[in-house]
Amino acid sequence: MTVAQKTDQNTLVEALINIAGEQDVVTGRVAMYAYGYDATLLFGVPRAVVFPESTQEVVDIVNYCRSTGVNIVPRGAGTNESGGTIPVDNCIIMNCCRMKKILEVDLDNYVAIIEPGVVNYDIQEMLAKYGYYYPPDPASYKASTMGGNVGECSGGPKCFKYGVTRDYIYGMEFVTSDGKVRWVGGRDYCSEPFYDITRMMCGSEGTLGYMTKFAIRIEPIPAAKRTMLAFYNEPVDAAQSVADIVAAGIVPTTLEMMDNLIINTAEDATGAGLPRDAGAMLIIEVDGPAYGDLDDQVKTITEVVKKANPKQFKIATTAAEVDACWLARRVAIGSVAHRAPSYSMQDITVPRSEFPQAVAGIVQTSKDYDLDIGILAHAGDGNFHPLVLFDQRNAEQSERVHKAEAALVKLALDLGGTMSGEHGVGLLKKPLLPNEYAPVTIDAFRKIKRAFDPINRMNPTKIFDL
Amino acid sequence: MSQIVEQLKSLLGADNVITKDMTKYLRGGEQPAAVACPGTGEEVAALVKAAADAGVKVNVGGAVVDTTGLSGGIAVVMKRMNKILEIDRNNLTCWVQPGMPHKEFCDALLKEGLYFPPEPYAVSTSSVAGCIGIGDPDSKAFKYMPPRTYIIAYEMVLPTGEPMKIGSKCIKCVSGLDLIHFIAGTRATLGIFTKILVKLQPAPVCRSIVLADLPNITTAAKAFLSIQKRRLFVSRENAITNKLGQHIWSGAKGAVAFVDIEEFPKANVEYAKIVEAELKIAGATATKIISDEKEYASAELGWLKAREAVNLTDKKVRFTVGASNVVKGLDAAKGVVGALEDGEFALIEAQLGKVTVASANPEADAVKLNKAAMPLGGNVSGLLGSKLRCDEYSDQAMFDNITQLLHNIRKEFDPKGILAPGIQF
Ligand SMILES: Cc1cc2nc3c(=O)[nH]c(=O)nc-3n(C[C@H](O)[C@H](O)[C@H](O)COP(=O)(O)OP(=O)(O)OC[C@H]3O[C@@H](n4cnc5c(N)ncnc54)[C@H](O)[C@@H]3O)c2cc1C
Repeated sequence: MTVAQKTDQNTLVEALINIAGEQDVVTGRVAMYAYGYDATLLFGVPRAVVFPESTQEVVDIVNYCRSTGVNIVPRGAGTNESGGTIPVDNCIIMNCCRMKKILEVDLDNYVAIIEPGVVNYDIQEMLAKYGYYYPPDPASYKASTMGGNVGECSGGPKCFKYGVTRDYIYGMEFVTSDGKVRWVGGRDYCSEPFYDITRMMCGSEGTLGYMTKFAIRIEPIPAAKRTMLAFYNEPVDAAQSVADIVAAGIVPTTLEMMDNLIINTAEDATGAGLPRDAGAMLIIEVDGPAYGDLDDQVKTITEVVKKANPKQFKIATTAAEVDACWLARRVAIGSVAHRAPSYSMQDITVPRSEFPQAVAGIVQTSKDYDLDIGILAHAGDGNFHPLVLFDQRNAEQSERVHKAEAALVKLALDLGGTMSGEHGVGLLKKPLLPNEYAPVTIDAFRKIKRAFDPINRMNPTKIFDL
Repeated sequence: MSQIVEQLKSLLGADNVITKDMTKYLRGGEQPAAVACPGTGEEVAALVKAAADAGVKVNVGGAVVDTTGLSGGIAVVMKRMNKILEIDRNNLTCWVQPGMPHKEFCDALLKEGLYFPPEPYAVSTSSVAGCIGIGDPDSKAFKYMPPRTYIIAYEMVLPTGEPMKIGSKCIKCVSGLDLIHFIAGTRATLGIFTKILVKLQPAPVCRSIVLADLPNITTAAKAFLSIQKRRLFVSRENAITNKLGQHIWSGAKGAVAFVDIEEFPKANVEYAKIVEAELKIAGATATKIISDEKEYASAELGWLKAREAVNLTDKKVRFTVGASNVVKGLDAAKGVVGALEDGEFALIEAQLGKVTVASANPEADAVKLNKAAMPLGGNVSGLLGSKLRCDEYSDQAMFDNITQLLHNIRKEFDPKGILAPGIQF
């Protein structure tokens, strides 16, 4: 490091401390390493990590960074799967975790105003006391923040019926790289200022501005729910049940699938008694009013599932049984750590009708590249999370993993799908973006980026280059 | 100008470029040079490219085009691009051409057991592209979400004449910036749709409408509040004053409540009973539960006609309040526009907290109604509402920042300012 850079570093840190206070600026080498990672295996080193606690502090930091040419990488809990928070050249990490106030909860009008550092689970826990909830709940909901959820437009197990994060954001406040604050939208769906700026911010991965407040839609918890668990010989049988349930006019809340490898790693982790020889497991959940229709739906689903010759089919009758159904799914991702030190999680999504072909393609990819790939899927959405297991220290194997990742994306695109259903592009999938979109479409993304951040200060080099 | 008209004739065929008797295709006082009716995406691209090269303005509509700012420009009518291209039952999706009439589209899908929930903006003229282009959260948006939720892919011609594609049959996609859903409500300022892929739902297993004849619209709002307090959410929870209410219930003596229930059979029956009971408790002098398909369709059409009349007049103010504050919102409206029952119309879409009232002086009344709505958890809708909110906080800078962003976006896409000249921020 040159002396000149070091001086700059001191000035930078001093300026950040002046704005945010010493306790909210991290520059220690070890701590900065921790913020150099997210849930991918990518890595970078920021110049500092700052935790603004108010919109004004965000504005001051943004203004300082603009005047000194420092880039800003917005970050929540860093659980993203796309390299979205990996530090870029000459950047600070601006972390929203300490802006975590729930500012207002208006149950009668189905809206809450919250800061971006609020963890999804904390909202759920608070709302549950009143019989309310916020529907989008990514599997990472115990750790991930609303800033990150909106930044990625996260999905989760309930998307098939309830939609994704985008559908539950009524409005937001954000700061752009020119230091200007905007509140767009309101406390309902009718308040966007002509262009639906809120929707554009959802899933923008920190590249358009730094979000400082949200108005979110909350809802009463549905009066009744039924949870079912089916084990099949093959994943295609589970896919058949998914197609038949939808064809029967039922819109389940949840259709989550795990394949044999993940059933086994989950069983290793939990000892819950999952049948280790099952080819696939499907969690099916329906909810709605409590007038008996759900029992009719359960009957229909039971018949539909039977057509696919399941090895086992259970209907949970108690809360404990419901929890048992979900346990394996909740631990699924972490459980693969028993098998291999590293994993790469993809997020390919295909039209639901292509589900069986996608399963076959993933199995083939596993063979082609001689890698273990477990399948976890939000089956109702056609959204797969193939978990490619490997050891990052093995360079040759890592190289094969990258090739397998590209093959999986190609598989999804060939089946008329997309490379990302809910995890975003970030750095990880950026090189593959031209495989999904023609230049004119990527150029349209650039037009939006230029309209919001013409100086390319917010999370530059993520998703695409300007 | 004749040069561009000649050019269009050679691109689209003389029969598809109209220069005489254009009125039936136009809304507004200004006169375009021609009405052009392209038949393919390629023709739309060629047309826009020619207009962009010549610096001629273009606006588009399904059946009717707004001519504001379009003097000497081209009114593009999509009536020839009006077909369903593909219904995919397995994926619950449908490719449709932009000019397909919205109501016809919904009806055709229902016959197939499929459902496109958003309501037409103006039932007699709206197209599917208009539904997405206007993006208006319709009265079913509380249950089914606004129209933007339903677009999952499209092909569009940009203001430069370049064709662009985005999206797929996947119901989830976060690959790249979200130009898929953002496009809803952009009113042809960023491009002209040539093909749209929407997601569908299975048709409701059971549908009923509860109608009530009530002394006034406030009594309906009170009943709706009681229904919400019971945590009972329906598809539509609307009420309208007597004059336009006649479309729904001819002969009704007071305001008409229109509650639409789309649930599974048992819940449907129970919901209808509860809704009817609450409306009676609130003072309904007559009620009807409609389950017969034909009667349902006719009552729904009545509602859509009333909605069209409200949507197409400029003499109105639309504002929101929190869903539990609709009664107070109506009281505030009375204070501003006078007795609601005496005016042309007052309309509530209660679950959304949406109130629309006729107003002889919309600009002045909007200021007052916004002031009243803000403490009730709402505001005047749209860009005007953003401005009034900023005014309330004496924060002109905030509004300037918002409009600057809108201008930036539009300029990036349409540097020559060709498309939708009637839309000004
Ligand atoms: C075990 C596990 C399970 C998961 N399950 C799911 C799942 O079911 N569904 C799903 O969709 N995802 C899932 N994810 C991915 C991840 O958890 C989500 O993307 C999550 O929303 C990220 O939240 P975060 O707080 O960790 O955000 P981060 O990772 O810190 O940030 C995510 C993105 O948002 C941006 N950002 C953060 N805060 C702001 C802000 N204030 N303003 C502007 N931009 C900001 C960042 O720049 C980044 O691009 C999972 C991840 C793991 C590790």
